[in-house]
Amino acid sequence: MFEITPEIAMAVLQGATLENFTDSGAAAIAVGLAALATGYAQRGIGSAAVGAMAEDDSTFGKGLILTVIPETLVILALVVVFLV
Amino acid sequence: MSIGASNPEYVNARVRARRAALFADEDYRKLIRMGPSGIARFMEETEYEREINALGARFSGVDLIEYALNRNLAKHFHDLLDWSEGRLYDLIARYLRKFDVWNVKTIIRGIYTETSSDEVQNDLIRAGEIDDSTIDRLLEVDTIEDAIETLNATMFYEPLLEAFDTYEQTGALVPLENALDRAFYENLLADLGRPQEGPEALYVEFLEAEIDFRNARNALRLARTGADLDPAAYYIDGGVLFTESELSRLVTDYDELVSHIADSRRYGDTLSSALTQLREAESLIQFEHALEAALLEYADTLSSSYPVSVSAVLSYILAKEREVENIRAIARGREVGLSESEIEDELVIL
Repeated sequence: MFEITPEIAMAVLQGATLENFTDSGAAAIAVGLAALATGYAQRGIGSAAVGAMAEDDSTFGKGLILTVIPETLVILALVVVFLV
Repeated sequence: MSIGASNPEYVNARVRARRAALFADEDYRKLIRMGPSGIARFMEETEYEREINALGARFSGVDLIEYALNRNLAKHFHDLLDWSEGRLYDLIARYLRKFDVWNVKTIIRGIYTETSSDEVQNDLIRAGEIDDSTIDRLLEVDTIEDAIETLNATMFYEPLLEAFDTYEQTGALVPLENALDRAFYENLLADLGRPQEGPEALYVEFLEAEIDFRNARNALRLARTGADLDPAAYYIDGGVLFTESELSRLVTDYDELVSHIADSRRYGDTLSSALTQLREAESLIQFEHALEAALLEYADTLSSSYPVSVSAVLSYILAKEREVENIRAIARGREVGLSESEIEDELVIL
């Protein structure tokens, strides 16, 4: 894995000129960043939800809903893929 | 455990749920009208069920209530340390070490008076950072020297060792106990610095307030009783209200001491009503309760300004301590036959 890292880096550096940077590539980055943001948001909400559930079982439903709300971020970002 | 990411979200969610389960003011009003066995029965239907059941066979009356309260407190605070990680753990442990101080003091006193370890064990509150196995080993040792040796992995070791010489010369426990308190308070603010904003700045402010109030309390007591003690020996560094020389000067003049507290920018407003009382009233108890209520209210404000931080945990710790103390005051008050209004004066209710 580590032996080929320099080669990959070289390929990326040579390949990533502006001519090769297509619309779908940009869309992929957009979706990827949105997914990261979603993950970050869900990390906090998820751990709070688990904490609340540990104290009181009946909060399971609410916790689940609150946890998936940031999912909208990545779903909306996915729209970008269909626009390009 | 003190490195790595902290998890305030998780701890906050759990702590807030437990905060909501504490007794409300109406519950206190109900409890005031009950006798010790009634209180125990009431507690059995709440949070304290498990502790009351576990101890019910061995104790009864006020002792049962007291031990159940201690055990419950220990359980909850131990949980806090269990859940939290990283920075959050560090901040919580700083404050909870006060139970370590209490436990070590109790054990040392037990050794000194040659009380059996069973009896000492009942009075411990295992909520601090020292783990159970160390405490169990502490309970088994017979001399104070061995006890200090057992603590060699903790922050109390060095100060205790230094104080041990004085103890051997005088035969009094005071130097050892002072060393413990001092180690605790010095560690409270150690390497926190003075952050300017955010929840941690407020946490530091709270710890400073704790030190200030401790100093103020000591000074007031000394001024009140006129005891011939050196105030510098009881001065705790780190607060903002007094400097060491100020404190030594003020202790001799009670009125000036009260004015000094009233003039301070940070506490003057919050404590104004309590201070007026203090000028007129004869007892310090009312003032001490006002101090505690002020701290509690302050911690509550903090926990709504910074929802996901150590503030909520802090406000829970204080509220829980208050609850335990209130219930204990009610039970003890009923036992010695105080009237309802007298007991109500003893409670700290917001």
